Amino acid sequence: MSIFTPTNQIRLTNVAVVRMKKAGKRFEIACYKNKVMSWRSGAEKDLDEVLQTHTVFVNVSKGQVAKRDDLSSAFGTEDLTEACTQILAKGELQVSDRERQSQLEHMFRDIATIVAEKCVNPETKRPYTVILIERVIKQLQQSIQIQRAHMRLRFVLPARDGKRLKEKLRPLIKTVENEDFTEQLEMVCLIDPGCFRDIDELIRCETKGKGTLEVLSLKDVEEGDEKLE
Amino acid sequence: MGHTSLEKIIALQKKTPHIRNLCILAHVDHGKTTLADCLVASNGIISSRLAGKLRYLDSREDEQIRGITMKSSAISLHYTTGGNEYLINLIDSPGHVDFSSEVSTAVRLCDGAIVVVDAVEGVCPQTQVVLRQAWLENIRPVLVINKIDRLIVELKLTSQEAYTHLQKILEQVNAVTGSLFTSKVLEERAEKDAEAQSSCTENGSGDQVYDWSAGLEETDDSDLYFSPDRGNVVFASAIDGWGFSIHQFAEMYSQKMGIRSSVLLKTLWGDFYLNAKAKKIMKGAQSKGKKPLFVQLVLDNIWSMYDAVVTRRDKEKVEKMVTSLGLKVMSRDLRHSDPKVLLSAICSQWLPVSQAVLSMVCEKLPSPAEISAERVEKLMSVGARRFDSLPEQTQELKKAFLDCSADETAPVIVFVSKMFAVDSKALPQNKQRPLTQEEIAQRREQARQRHAERQAANQSAESPGAGCIATPINRCITEALSVKTAVEEDNKEHFVAFARVYSGVLRKGQKVFVLGPKYDPSLALRLPEGCSAADVLPSVPHMACCTVDSLYLLMGRELEELDEVPTGNVLGIGGMEEFILKSATISTSPSCPPFTPLNFEATPIVRVAVEPKHPSEMPKLVRGMRLLNQADPCAEVLIQETGEHVLVTAGEVHLQRCLDDLRERFAKIEISASKPIIPFRETVIRPPKVDMVNEDMGKQQKVAVIHQVKEEQTKYPEGVQVDSTGLVTLTTPNKMATVGVRAIPLPEEVTRLLEDNVELIRTMEQFSLFAWEDKTLDINQKILENIQEFKVKLESNLQGRKWRGAVERIWAFGPRRCGPNILLNSVEGYRRPSVWQCLEREKETEKAEIRDFDNSIASGFQLATLSGPMCEEPLMGVCFSVETWDMKLSAPLAQQDSIDEDSQTAEPNIDNQNESSDTHETNASSASSNRSRSGAEAAGSSVDCYGPFSGQLIAAMKEACRYAFQAKPQRLMAAMYTCEIMATAEVLGRVYAVLSKREGRVLQEEMKEGTDMFIIKAVLPVAESFGFADEIRKRTSGLASPQLVFSHWEVISSDPFWVPTTEEEYLHFGEKADSSNQALKYMNAVRRRKGLYVEEKIVEHAEKQRTLSKNK
Repeated sequence: MSIFTPTNQIRLTNVAVVRMKKAGKRFEIACYKNKVMSWRSGAEKDLDEVLQTHTVFVNVSKGQVAKRDDLSSAFGTEDLTEACTQILAKGELQVSDRERQSQLEHMFRDIATIVAEKCVNPETKRPYTVILIERVIKQLQQSIQIQRAHMRLRFVLPARDGKRLKEKLRPLIKTVENEDFTEQLEMVCLIDPGCFRDIDELIRCETKGKGTLEVLSLKDVEEGDEKLE
Repeated sequence: MGHTSLEKIIALQKKTPHIRNLCILAHVDHGKTTLADCLVASNGIISSRLAGKLRYLDSREDEQIRGITMKSSAISLHYTTGGNEYLINLIDSPGHVDFSSEVSTAVRLCDGAIVVVDAVEGVCPQTQVVLRQAWLENIRPVLVINKIDRLIVELKLTSQEAYTHLQKILEQVNAVTGSLFTSKVLEERAEKDAEAQSSCTENGSGDQVYDWSAGLEETDDSDLYFSPDRGNVVFASAIDGWGFSIHQFAEMYSQKMGIRSSVLLKTLWGDFYLNAKAKKIMKGAQSKGKKPLFVQLVLDNIWSMYDAVVTRRDKEKVEKMVTSLGLKVMSRDLRHSDPKVLLSAICSQWLPVSQAVLSMVCEKLPSPAEISAERVEKLMSVGARRFDSLPEQTQELKKAFLDCSADETAPVIVFVSKMFAVDSKALPQNKQRPLTQEEIAQRREQARQRHAERQAANQSAESPGAGCIATPINRCITEALSVKTAVEEDNKEHFVAFARVYSGVLRKGQKVFVLGPKYDPSLALRLPEGCSAADVLPSVPHMACCTVDSLYLLMGRELEELDEVPTGNVLGIGGMEEFILKSATISTSPSCPPFTPLNFEATPIVRVAVEPKHPSEMPKLVRGMRLLNQADPCAEVLIQETGEHVLVTAGEVHLQRCLDDLRERFAKIEISASKPIIPFRETVIRPPKVDMVNEDMGKQQKVAVIHQVKEEQTKYPEGVQVDSTGLVTLTTPNKMATVGVRAIPLPEEVTRLLEDNVELIRTMEQFSLFAWEDKTLDINQKILENIQEFKVKLESNLQGRKWRGAVERIWAFGPRRCGPNILLNSVEGYRRPSVWQCLEREKETEKAEIRDFDNSIASGFQLATLSGPMCEEPLMGVCFSVETWDMKLSAPLAQQDSIDEDSQTAEPNIDNQNESSDTHETNASSASSNRSRSGAEAAGSSVDCYGPFSGQLIAAMKEACRYAFQAKPQRLMAAMYTCEIMATAEVLGRVYAVLSKREGRVLQEEMKEGTDMFIIKAVLPVAESFGFADEIRKRTSGLASPQLVFSHWEVISSDPFWVPTTEEEYLHFGEKADSSNQALKYMNAVRRRKGLYVEEKIVEHAEKQRTLSKNK
């Protein structure tokens, strides 16, 4: 057992420790910072760029190496590299600064993209750009007009059920674009995508499969470029 | 000369032969605005001391700061010569390339142009451009060689050297004119040849005459050229305020030396010298080594003046010169420490530049009445339409143009070349003017009354009557409100139309037709004969009726209100913003044709996306962009499908101005501009035969790579089976349906065919939709024929074993049901109605049956093609062939499979089919009941834990398509511009360098006949085009100007997922292949923008991180 003095103390500054408890034992490996996530996502393919050393520790900061017997009982192998990859894949790790930062950024982008994808400017029926949405999210006191992009549906109902169903459907429909009630009720309308399942069910149950429902467009947005004039 | 009064100008406006409409054209920084200043100063509008420094016509702040003109602006001047009074409508134009659209607007309204050339720099690129513009508009140019003082002071040339230098410049200018002339003649010649050839073939055999003369010999071009002895050249130094034509000196010396001025005129410029002994003017100064006459009589005088005043500052000599010239110079100027002040004081009296230029203009340039028939025809024939093909009534208007009469009967024809924004404060109606006595009295009275009221109110407030207090407060509020609305009114931008009257008299309050650029005069024939704008008329496209609101005289920064403007004048028209977008023709006759569109030398190519700093200000931005579009002849604004607001400008400087305008005038908000979003497409290709180092793929041994194996494993999740030929089989989560899909690249021609026939496909789609509901849609014969033709073309392009019968088996097109991708039905034993059923209406083949959930498969395909797996961009040119589609359809089976309690409990309900119950159970009942159309079961629609079955199938199909796509070699497709570049031979190399740096590819290069210009055609990825125009201009010093037009989509040859696998590739690229992969770069950029996962390491090299924390 070595004695810890300031002179023989080695500071581990570029180290991220990945820990795992298996078979009642604690195992640790020493990795480079900001690398473990890349390994897990598959971006980093070189194990040597992730591991400081192909050694399994009980305690990295104290430099205590795990015993061979414990390793084989826990991992079923004595191959250190194999054990390391297992720990890397499943162990718990301390997320490093830049990993966390990129995670957050990624999440934020994701949210903004989803919002931009699903929503439109109700006035122009055109989507907002991701950059704009991001800016709005960041400065929360700002507000813009935003609306979930509508779904355009067309359904054909037998005349018998038409009248009755129409009343039931009314609260679920945002706007009716086209309505034709001759032999059967044919409607083209815009709905909130959240109501889709309700409408689908309603039509299927009430008409016993005689009504048809068709999605004309998943989101109702203006197509093509518009010249401002 | 004193300030010319408004009345005087109005009087002059009526004398058409004494009007000159002209513009000043030149390369940037050659002194247009300075010259304009001198001319303005001659009318006493600005002090002649400030001329050249004030730049009066540069009224914008950024124009003053940058020192370049950015817009064309007009001013009316008065000039008297030889007892004749002239009205000169002068338009100053910008010289910078980006604003050449402004030049076009100016040139259109003029009859003549002053072309200014810097004596040091000579002919510059923009000089050539403006000469061409003047040429195209058929207006007559005169030349001013400016900045001669620089030859003396900066270059320190002797008068002899300066003479040769000036000669050279003149030659250059004439060379440009000459080449314009020859190219025109050659064009005409080519046309004639083509005609002759067609007639020849008609004649069949006959004597073939080969004519090799270029036609140049027969055409006279002598009156085109500039030459001082013709009197169309002025030598000047606008900054020092002097300028002269040979004419002036000839007059001067004919008195002094007793030589006839006509002789002097001929000999003063050219290779002539004065033989003092013989008292004769002899030819051949150069060969005899004598001073040419021009040097001796003209330049030497100026040189000695500069020598005395600027270089040596010889006071005595100066005084002597001043007295000999008979000038009076103020002692203040004589004592001034800056010699330039003295110089300009002397020169502006001795040889005033305005005198020289204006007299030349009045003499040499045509008046509006002298408009040539050729020009009229050119103006009237829109586009490719020949003048003869115009309606008769329209052709009659030609006479009105030529007469240019201001009669009551003459039809009014006005052309508006641009709209410009004016602050409402600058409008004459809103201008503050001194109050009259009565008004002052009235105001005083009002104030007194208000005061009295207030006092009364105060008194009543003291008394307990509370109700009275409300009144003054209310009034305060209403007053405040009215003030606020007034302020808002004030902030509104007013647009004034920049226009010229070609015929008739335009009056305030007159009813006129406003004809848009796309108006067709033949439509007017349908209108009742002799109708006027005052009548109620049926609406005609691109025509509007309106009342002339107000007329203005344009005086640079100022506007003066007018009541009427007779023919031949340049004017401003107010209140037209609702009728005119950018340019228009105004007439009282509906048969008037719209004028030909302006020739824009620069097309807008610099694209940026603009966004407000504060997202809530979006509506303001949109409004501002609309206004900007109206105010700028060249800018384009549009909202893209992605929701971006895109501004397209002619260049970086123009862009800057547009943004400034948006910020400060039109939108009044903070905005930011960024690179616009670049679209991509995703596709698959046939497996490449050679690898990255051009080695044959099959023969080589692949080197085992560890991480490659890892990747293979992660590519497909559980439940997806992929066989070696790329067939992907996928089962829905409830294990009820299995689909097998294969992706096949479509031949390029097919993709193009699909793209070109979107409308047809849409019609077909609509037809099938109607057929689905047993209805019919009537399609007219023409379209049916087109569809038939389209089908035949598709068949001819889809040849080979693989595609046998493929056209008949097409299931759908996508994305959005009409895109360039195909869904193919290769399911054995499944015959569904084809997409071509509109063609087969008559034959009525055996009734093909549609399986249930047919629609779900198609929807899955639509979704898959809308966003591909590489970076969620739409697919293009991919065919998905559905090879297997198995459904376990029987109801009991379905229920066994999806152990769904709901449907179990619902079982009893199937029998009694309780209609009215809308409890949850009915779902299942309807689910297990038969669907009406097919008579088959609908077990699939049972509600299980995975949601509706149709949805599951859509998702499964979508995923299957995506994996099938990934099983093939994937490629990105980039949008390409075709780029046409005109460049001179000397900058050709640099053009190529810029192109290759930006991944461009040159298609062809050819020389333009009759000039030394090369025309280069190239393709360039849109992704690389940001800043391209600017770079190419910078690198070629403006000698090459590109024009970019979107042309097509092109597969990027490199594989974004490529990693070296063979020995050679390792050798070449190393293990990591860190050399840049263009496709990967694009793909990652898009993914990052969309917030998708990018396979990128946070830190590249683990060891190279900063290892110490801050406090150690």
